[in-house]
Amino acid sequence: MPVIDLPNVRLHVQELNPEGQETIIMVHGMFSNLAVYYFNIAPMLAKHFRVVLFDMKGHGMSEKVQTGYDLTSMTNDLRDLMDELGIEKAHLAGYSYGGLVALKMAARFPERVGKLAIIEGPDPSEQETLAIIDTYSREFLIHYIENFADTTRLLAGKRQLEKNHRMYEFLFNETSIRSDMEAEKGFFNDPAVAAISHETLLIYGEESNCVPSGRTLASRIPNSRLVLAPGDHNVPVQQPEVIGKELTEFFVRYDEMYVTDALAGCG
Amino acid sequence: MDQLIQENKLSKEEIFETLNQFITEVIGEEFVEEMDITPASSFTKDLEMDSIEIVAFSEKVKNHFGSNIDFTGWLSNMDLDEIIQLKLENIINYIQECQ
Repeated sequence: MPVIDLPNVRLHVQELNPEGQETIIMVHGMFSNLAVYYFNIAPMLAKHFRVVLFDMKGHGMSEKVQTGYDLTSMTNDLRDLMDELGIEKAHLAGYSYGGLVALKMAARFPERVGKLAIIEGPDPSEQETLAIIDTYSREFLIHYIENFADTTRLLAGKRQLEKNHRMYEFLFNETSIRSDMEAEKGFFNDPAVAAISHETLLIYGEESNCVPSGRTLASRIPNSRLVLAPGDHNVPVQQPEVIGKELTEFFVRYDEMYVTDALAGCG
Repeated sequence: MDQLIQENKLSKEEIFETLNQFITEVIGEEFVEEMDITPASSFTKDLEMDSIEIVAFSEKVKNHFGSNIDFTGWLSNMDLDEIIQLKLENIINYIQECQ
């Protein structure tokens, strides 16, 4: 399993179509992992691009660490990962909290980011995201897995429930994730967000509570376009083909000269 | 790394044994002991594997059976419901076809 040693953390990384001319790095959301992209969306993009997926610290198969879940630390990790993989510049796609990581990356290291796609990035000043943490309980967890987790449609058995329970226990009780997220409340009002000049696609589920966040970003980021897709906050899981198509059209549009062959099948 | 040099086609039983080993490595021996893994076992319902475990399993399959099978590409042609229904024997058949 490719686990890469970075200065501050060890991250689980998966790469598709490593020969692609340009690179897209995809960032997943809180309490999720790279599998949210791996099966459908990433292979669609890999027909045209090198695609790099990674598990955030404390998530998936990456190292469990106690601190550094704020956007500055997260973008330090991403910059270190790009350095380690020899990627000078990449397009970024981020989902939910991963969308905020992508925005922060464009704000902090504008020269290293090509285009920017934000899926369901929540305004951290809205209480929705943080409320999920505050109402945490085992009962809540079961409800969450059945209704909101990326694994929504995968039946959660006992082992999975316990595995998820351990992940939440770890992240909530043994790490700084809660205070790190709370400390980002003012992020959308940061002048650095309004100064993002990258071509930006904002994709939100039309039924999602996060649509107002999308409208806020659309009003602040000059070179952005808001697209509503059928679904709610889980739209990448509900409509992977729609999201994959939107992302492909967005990233490919001006770069068709770089189109590479699809991953070869077995015949 | 541990790519197999295939002189002869592997039998279904041999492929099953290899996949069985990968499943054990991914979900842990203590859980596998309580299960009866057969070619008819489904990944999500019977083996209770979640998506990141299927990713780990896929990587082992790719590393072991080599680049002449495009396991991720094969999976990406399925929708989530098909992946949920996926049984070990579907993968065994796919690997056999690709040999």
